[in-house]
Amino acid sequence: MSKTVYWIQCGGCGGDTWSLFNGEAPNFVDLLESLDLDLLWHPTLSVVRQEELQEVTRRLMEGDLHLDFLCVEGTVIHGPDGSGMYDVVLGTPKKEIVAALARRADYVIAVGTCASFGGVGANGDIEGTGLQFLKWEPGGLLGKDFKSGSGLPVVNLPGCPCHSDVITGTLSALVYGRDLELNNHNSPLDWYGVMVHQGCTRNEYHEYRVEEVKFGERGCLFFYMGCHGPLVTGPCNKILWNRRSSKTRVGVPCFGCTRPDFPQPYPFFETRNIEGIPLELPDGVSRAHYLAYKGMAAAAAPERLIKRKPGI
Amino acid sequence: MSAKKIQVIAMNRVEGDLEVHLEMEDGLIREARCVGTMFRGIENLLLGRGLLDGLVITPRICGICTTAQLKAAAKALDVAFEADVPDNGRRIRNITLMVEMLQNDIRHAFLLFLPDFTNSIYRSFPFYEEIVNRYAPLKGRTVIETIKETKRILEITAILGGQWPHSSFMVPGGVVSVPSISDLATCRYILGTYRRWYESRVLGCSLSRWSEIRSKADLLSWLDEKPSHGKSELGFFIRISMSVGLQSLGAAHGNFLSFGALDLPAATDVAPLGQGETFMPGGFYRNGRTLPFRQENILEDVSHARFDDDTSVMHPFRGLTVPGTSDSEEKYSWAKAPRYKGLPAETGPLAEMVLSNDPLFLDLIKEDGPGVFARELARLSRPALLIPVMEQWLKEVADDCTNFFTTYRKRQEGKGSGLIEAPRGALGHWLTFEKGKITNYQVVTPTTWNASPRDADGERGPMEEALVGTPVRDPDNPVEAEHVVRSFDPCLVCTVHTVDLSGRSGRRTNSPVMVWPRP
Repeated sequence: MSKTVYWIQCGGCGGDTWSLFNGEAPNFVDLLESLDLDLLWHPTLSVVRQEELQEVTRRLMEGDLHLDFLCVEGTVIHGPDGSGMYDVVLGTPKKEIVAALARRADYVIAVGTCASFGGVGANGDIEGTGLQFLKWEPGGLLGKDFKSGSGLPVVNLPGCPCHSDVITGTLSALVYGRDLELNNHNSPLDWYGVMVHQGCTRNEYHEYRVEEVKFGERGCLFFYMGCHGPLVTGPCNKILWNRRSSKTRVGVPCFGCTRPDFPQPYPFFETRNIEGIPLELPDGVSRAHYLAYKGMAAAAAPERLIKRKPGI
Repeated sequence: MSAKKIQVIAMNRVEGDLEVHLEMEDGLIREARCVGTMFRGIENLLLGRGLLDGLVITPRICGICTTAQLKAAAKALDVAFEADVPDNGRRIRNITLMVEMLQNDIRHAFLLFLPDFTNSIYRSFPFYEEIVNRYAPLKGRTVIETIKETKRILEITAILGGQWPHSSFMVPGGVVSVPSISDLATCRYILGTYRRWYESRVLGCSLSRWSEIRSKADLLSWLDEKPSHGKSELGFFIRISMSVGLQSLGAAHGNFLSFGALDLPAATDVAPLGQGETFMPGGFYRNGRTLPFRQENILEDVSHARFDDDTSVMHPFRGLTVPGTSDSEEKYSWAKAPRYKGLPAETGPLAEMVLSNDPLFLDLIKEDGPGVFARELARLSRPALLIPVMEQWLKEVADDCTNFFTTYRKRQEGKGSGLIEAPRGALGHWLTFEKGKITNYQVVTPTTWNASPRDADGERGPMEEALVGTPVRDPDNPVEAEHVVRSFDPCLVCTVHTVDLSGRSGRRTNSPVMVWPRP
């Protein structure tokens, strides 16, 4: 029997949907077909009369129609003053619709950083939260103890946007009944067990501390340009974007968009440092060892890296 | 017989959430109000942040026009820092923005606009079966082809800027990327593949044959010239439009605004379509006359918007975004109403064509008025105008693969504005900063213009004006209103100052199920 999917957008930009449309193998249509998914509702795609949508939604909430997957995109808007009235459908706060559907779903998937952790709207006028987290803190809309019908908590797929392969891979694993091993923030280790830095084509610059100080120089972006590649997990350089590249490969620092505190409160494009050494060091590294290693690495840097040409 | 009906449509297949409040009587829409139902507060999140942070935060305003937001943010900083963008930096910025237009124009037409014609109201129309074959959601062959083809063109942006959506590769002074000769060759192949698909499937003819169409009469003779023209997506759209009468539907005030599209490099073989420093000229068109664009003429009117704001009319440099608590019928929307010289103005591809003096679109407007057909045709045919220019700029970058960025001097105090043409039309960012922190950031998007509420003079916004007078076959299924609204390609996630008015307690329902609000 087909598995049902209901996709709802809260306070977001729609970017996770458009990212999903980047998928090649499978593309979005093939994904639905090969997993035998019945897309009950997607706000960008569905041609459903308003009455029909209300009827489907009502049947799902009452348990009259089974819901396998609830996919939520965008921050859950609680403002103003906890009412949720900054984001409504025909007068009903969307947060209430999400909560009612989540109680009925076998799996609840937070697609993107906003739905996972609150993201862009978390500290603003709109009082945004993630489904089961607010930044680093468990809780969010559904509370830290929430479990969906399958027994899993909300599966968080952060990223701004989330990569299409992560969305399709997660849906595939769950449909095929594979165990998804999750990290501390309930994100699958397959994609969130690797640092963004891993696979970056600028790794050799990092190795020898050949650092970029101004845009376009082609060096490592970690020491001065605010790159979060060694600090956060994500598959950007493992599976690449649009099958082609990644931000760090072309010289855009990683902004740490998979991390619960994205967007960071301090300025982008610069590295907070202590005497020239980044305040935040690569995940799990001891400061003393790192300092010793970086000093030696810079001294060992080969000429061909120091005299590099940016366009090659 | 007077059959009066009030209907509220919660629109989907627009980016974001939009409610359209309609009053219908005797088969006509008598009154219309467009209301965004989500407030995102992004402008206020930028207050107190680092000067470059708009480059990361504002692309997140919109998942489908993210490159446009980035470009406006970068341009505002160019102005603020007096940064000089070298020619190759301009070209890369333009090419990636045009990529976004190419995917948007096609996705809008085949995923968002044309599926409305699968509505049961058209069941007896001669093309109905073909419409369903092409545009049924996730099943129609054009829908599937659109999903497969449009993602490929975005690979160009990934090669030149890292990823799409949501990269931040444009910075004051140019772009950070330094593409290689082989990167550019790959981009040209990708564009070539898209061009061939667009010519064979969307146009049904070559770009050069299409460019010969200079009037409505030309368009109709082109349609009958070859079977491939009538069968192409564009030919089929023309036939549907004539059958349904889209040309006489949905004209707004006839005022058109463009900020000017695509900054010309200092040295280029691309010939601009008008005066000024952009490929497509900016300007304001009204009553057959074009006035040069001057940004001092933009004011935002909040007289009908629910903002706690004592001053009712302000230039965006001084505008505030303070969600208000007042609750009156008069302040029926939280969208601000931008006005040009005090007048509502429509923006988007049709405005760009009109201000470029495009003979086909000037003739269509003269013959039929600026309605749904002209608006959608302008969007669907815009790639035909853009693709050759992109090819030329890619070639020019490859001729001299250096100078993508010029160092700038960061300032601690100042202001800047970045006014561009996004896929949906005029987009402006206005930024003010002191002591190295952002003190004001205002974003006025194309949909803020098109879906704006009434102003202090009671003048409707363009989308509202376009709805009034629309004939409706079935008041319970007012699909004609959806054609009119979607022809503006509204992007409500973008309309960052928009909030719903239904926060008022009288409209709140206790049911967890969506219900009709009170009329």
